[in-house]
Parts: sequence; C-alpha cells; structure tokens
Amino acid sequence: MYALDPALRVNLLGLSLICHSVVCCRVSPLQKAQVTSLVRKGARKITLSIGDGANDVSMIQAAHVGIGISGQEGMQAVMASDFAIAQFRYLTDLLLVHGRWSYLRLCKVITYFFYKNLTFTLTQFWFTFQTGFSGQRFYDDWFQSLYNVIFTALPVIMVGLFDKDVSASLSKKYPQLYQEGIRNTFFKWKVIAVWGFFAFYQSIVFYYFTAAASQHGHGSSGKILGQWDVSTMAFTCVVVTVNLRLLMSCNSITRWHYFSVAGSIAAWFLFIFIYSAIMTSFDRQENVYFVIYVLMSTFFFYLTLILVPVIALFGDFLYLSLQRWLFPYDYQVVQEMHKDDPHEYSMIRLPERSHLSPEEARSYAISMLPRENSKHTGFAFDSPGYESFFASQQGVCVPHKPWDVARRASMKQQRQQPQRTGRS
Amino acid sequence: MSVSGSESAASANKPKYSKFTQQELPACKPLLTPGIVIGAFSLIGIIFVPIGLASLSASQEIVELIDRYDEECVTASDKIGFIQDSKANKACTRKITVPKPMKGPIHVYYQLENFYQNHRRYVQSRSDQQLRDKDYKDPKAVAKACDPEATTGDGSLIVPCGLIAWSLFNDTYAFSVNKKSVTVNKKDIAWASDKNSKFGSNVFPVNFQKGGLIGGGNLNDKLPLSEQEDLIVWMRTAALPTFRKLYGRIETDIMASDEITVVIQNNYNTYSFGGTKAVVLSTASWIGGKNNFIGVAYVAVGGICLLLAMGFVVLYVVKPRALGDPAYLSWNKEAAEYSH
Repeated sequence: MYALDPALRVNLLGLSLICHSVVCCRVSPLQKAQVTSLVRKGARKITLSIGDGANDVSMIQAAHVGIGISGQEGMQAVMASDFAIAQFRYLTDLLLVHGRWSYLRLCKVITYFFYKNLTFTLTQFWFTFQTGFSGQRFYDDWFQSLYNVIFTALPVIMVGLFDKDVSASLSKKYPQLYQEGIRNTFFKWKVIAVWGFFAFYQSIVFYYFTAAASQHGHGSSGKILGQWDVSTMAFTCVVVTVNLRLLMSCNSITRWHYFSVAGSIAAWFLFIFIYSAIMTSFDRQENVYFVIYVLMSTFFFYLTLILVPVIALFGDFLYLSLQRWLFPYDYQVVQEMHKDDPHEYSMIRLPERSHLSPEEARSYAISMLPRENSKHTGFAFDSPGYESFFASQQGVCVPHKPWDVARRASMKQQRQQPQRTGRS
Repeated sequence: MSVSGSESAASANKPKYSKFTQQELPACKPLLTPGIVIGAFSLIGIIFVPIGLASLSASQEIVELIDRYDEECVTASDKIGFIQDSKANKACTRKITVPKPMKGPIHVYYQLENFYQNHRRYVQSRSDQQLRDKDYKDPKAVAKACDPEATTGDGSLIVPCGLIAWSLFNDTYAFSVNKKSVTVNKKDIAWASDKNSKFGSNVFPVNFQKGGLIGGGNLNDKLPLSEQEDLIVWMRTAALPTFRKLYGRIETDIMASDEITVVIQNNYNTYSFGGTKAVVLSTASWIGGKNNFIGVAYVAVGGICLLLAMGFVVLYVVKPRALGDPAYLSWNKEAAEYSH
C-alpha cells in the first residue's frame, strides 16, 4: 500500500518521529511536499527544508522555513525559498550561528523596547495621581514625540545588529546552545515579567525622587522650581538610565554601541539646550523656556542626575548578578569557559603552525589546495568533502580520497585568497 | 571547465568585505564576574556615602520654621463668607519662636496644600505671548488660551489673562523681631529668565480681576509685568498639590530664642476647597532649603551597596561556582540526572 495513504499516514509519522533520521528515496516532488506537510501538520513542529533543484520547490514551500541552494541546477529553488545559500555546508552557519544570534537579538530588542516605553510612560502615570486626575501631561509634547525617535532609538538598533552572546566558532562547537531557541528561553513570560517589574520599579524611582526632592528652595537664592523643571529633570534621568540599561544587557559591546549610547544622551542635551533657549510661536506655551539652564544652576540637578540612574539601575544590576551566579544560562557558562580565548578574528592570521601535528598539518595543506568552484556546489551530497560530513559529525575521521587529492594538486596554482565567508 | 574564468566570476559575485557588514567588529565582551560585582557595589558605596553625609550635614544646619495659620486666623464659623467679605478685618497676628540662630538672608515662603496648580485646565490657562508682547491682541487666540478669564463682561481683553494669573496669591506678611520691625526684600524672588524674557517690560496689567469673579490678588497698573515678581513667581506653576513659593527675604540675622511676630493679611480664600496655608521661614545653603531627602537617599543607597558588596562576598564563599564550569551546562546537568 501507499505509505502516504490517509489510513497509513499516521503510522508512518509515528514511526518517523521515533527515528533519528529517515531517508526517503526515489520520491517525486509532490511526495516530498507531502512528507513535509505530514510532519508539519501532524507533528506540529517547526520544519525546515533545503533543496537545490526545481523538484524541491514544492517541498521548500511546504515547510515553515525553506532554504534554496543556488548553483548548478539553477535558481528555481532560490526563488521559491525564504533563505538562499550557496553551498550546503553553509546550513550549519545559518542555523547555529546566524539563526541563533537572530533569535537572541530579536528577544533583546523587543523586550528592551517594551521596557523603555513602559518606564517612560509609568513615570508619567504616577503624576496623574497628584494632578487631581485631570490628565495633565507630565512631559512636554516634544519630549514625548522625540523620545522614541531620537533619544533612545539608535542604541537598540546597534544591539539588534551586532549583539553576539558567543562567537561564531563557539556557536558551532556547542550546537546544544541552539536549544535555547527551541525552548524559547529568552522570551518566556517570566523574562518579560522581570523586565516589567524593573520598569515599574524604575518609574517609581524616577517620579518620586525627582518630585520629592524638588519641594524645597534650591541654591543659595532659595528660588523654587516649577512643574516643567521637575519634568525635564525626570525626563533627563529617564533618557540617561534607559540608555545605560541597554549597555548593561549587551553581551558584546562594539564602538558603535558607545557612539550610539553617548550620542543619544548627547542628542538629548543638545536638543534641550536649543529647545529651551528659543521662544517659538509654534509652542502653544513656552513652558520649557530656559528650564535646563535654571536646572543646571542648582546643585539639585547634578546630585539627582548621579543618584537617580544609579538607584534605578541598582535593581537590574543586582538581579543580573544573582541570575548569572546562581542560575546561569548555557551561553553564559560557555562565555566564562572561553573568556580567555584570543579574539577569534586574530586567530586566522597566526603565521606559525608549529602546534599542529603532522597529520593535522597534512590535512590542512590538503584543504588549502585549490578547490573546484561552483561545479560541485549544487549537488549537495556529491561534492568530495561531503561523504565525510556525517562521519565527522560523529567524530569519525575519514581521510580524503586519494584521486581527489591528486586531481586537486595537479590543478593550476591560483593565488590564494583568504576565505572568510562560511568558514569559521 | 575553465577554472580561471569561474574564479573571477566567483570573486565578482563575492560581496565587498568590510568589518561592519561581516559583523567582525572588535568588541568588548563584559562578563559579570564576582570581582566586577563586588567592585561596582563597593565603588558606589564609597562614593555615595560621603556625598550623602555632606548633603545631610548641610541640610541639618538649615533652620526651617513652618507655621500654619489658616485655621486659627479665621475665628468666624462661616469661614468662606468671612474670607469673601471685602470689608472684614483680615489681619491676624502670629508668634513664632526661633529655636536656633538663623543667619541671613532668611527666605520667607508661603506654603499651600491641596492646591492643584498642576491641574490640566489650570496649567494651560495662560497666554505667554500676551505676557511678553504688548502688541499681541488676537482676541480669538487669547480667548482660546485663557478662557474663562480672557475678557471682561463687555469683551475687552484682560492682561494678564487666564486662570493662573487670576488666582494670584495675595496674603501679605509683615515681620517684626523682638518688637522691632524688619523689612522683607521682595526683589529678585523670581528666576532671572522669567523676569527678563517671559514677562514683558512694556506690558502693563489691563482690566485685571474685572472679569466678574475675583480670584485672588490685584496688580499695580503702573508697574510693567516684568517687575511684578509676585505674579511671576506665582505663574511658575508648581508640580505637586503641596508647594511653597518664595515671598521675599529678610536680610538680617535672627538670634536663637528671638520671637518673631508676623502680621498676616489673611486675604486668600483656600477655605472653599479645603486647602491650607502656612508661612515658612528658612535659611539656605549651597544645597538650597532643608532637604534631608537627597542626603538620606545617598547615604541609604551607599550603605545598601556596601552591605550588598559584603553579602556578595559571603555568597561567593558559601555558594561557590567555578567560572566556566562545564557541569553547569544544561545538557551536562541533564546527562548527570539521567545517569542517576
């Protein structure tokens, strides 16, 4: 009987799910798609399919994630796919390195975005209790509009682009780190609740510390600060704290992070210096006129600017320290295990190879021989290196085929280009 | 198969390499090791405690006397009727004894409670352009900004318009120390930016308090707005419903055990809405008025950080974990459990 028959399909699925791997051979394109749909709908798992030819198109489209290999068999698979790669072996990098980093970055960006807006808004919220519930806004209109556009936008983009928990080579060395994505470790309700709690705590700190501390005269002149002074002070603290909090949650900090965080805080000060120095007829009321200069002439401003961000970040710092010590995530343990490794990109340039054993040196020399270009990339399992792919995954070392080594050694010598893409 | 041809085709397709696009930027990878945690908490503690102590000591030297007078200054049973009666004698005498010597200048504030200067409709009821520009007479814009205190009954504009100006505080205080009267310097009580730019030196009050209801004090028609410092101070709306505003300064020193007599003209009506009034005398230092809050907060945070630093030392000793111990990897832990 036909195994994909409705009567037998369930048994086939059940059997397949028990196995480590299942090989279906001599299948037509439609059957490929049917098998993929069977697993997708029956097992309710996320499926990925990879293929290089026109016969793989329906399978690629049937799975959740479809990957096409561009090459010898043409571009039909690529055009139907979600991701396109050039060689089959790049799949490791796609999943274990870039896919994992992408998950991490996405979780960080989303949770941080909610946190910063929650903090900003809750600080205003506490004010409503003391305005007779009349709905008076705490912040000036322009502060609110530009908060997400200028003062806190760029750093989180930098984190979303560049954050790495462990390096690419370590991601491949510890493929179990991929489980973090499968278990949804970084986007559980618990994680979001923690961010929410700290947003709540920080908003209380921002509002009460700035409002309570402004009740009395300031400076030796004893003059009193008004509502817009207090709100500008609170807003300054919010912007500074929220940007510094981002630095605390980064795993790798490049110079772009420093630029964007410092730049955002500097942009805020530049904005408020200019905005409060001009009187425009566009501003309905000139509430914020000269506010920052008045504030900066009091000791209150500097004392509060040092105190409030530290108190606000204190809770987060305490939580992060305890979490890392008592309940470390896997990637944190890996980071600690390899914290003294030299920077990964400096390893490529090491000139001496004296630490390699003779076999390793020979193997390295063979791999440095000129390779065929493009000719074998489309046939995923046909290229010479790939017979040993599964073997090497199991730790068995399979030597290169002698006819292949001889053929490559007899090829015309080309100038060696340092290979970067796809190689760790 | 031409190797060289496909080589150059491949290198033509290869994207331009840059550290930015290939994500190979040099990066610092901070780890929260025990040393860093303890160091950070200790550093904050060491910096904050002295700052807090300095602020506290400055604040403790400040002498602040608060005297609430609204309840005791009106003996009539109908307080609201009394306060609204323009012919009643509203003078009230209060005596304050000075516990510690007060060095001049001594700042005099009036403190109001339960007065919501931060109410939405109150805050927006002003026209800043009218306040600084005497030629600004757009009636529709003024009406929109200042309603219901924009025009008098017959439609002429009120300067300064709006509820904030209309509700100007008008209690006055006359001080005498040991029966000798002292003058209160009412100059320079408003911020310079307000006086110089926000309130025009050629704008004079027009039709003030002639809108029907009287909400507060009156203004001298002969003085331009930039010299009406009480109005300027009042119009810098306060953030919270309990606030104080600067009334003036007494430039002389006052000794301990001196008796200050305040003659208050109790004009302002806070009785209709359950507000309270008080007069405050306070010295000032570099930190401003008596504000224990900042000093206490600094000392508290510094102290907690030092305690936490010690707590973390204990934690790292009691629950040690070798940095980078592979046994903590979840798959090794599961394998360990499985093998049991």
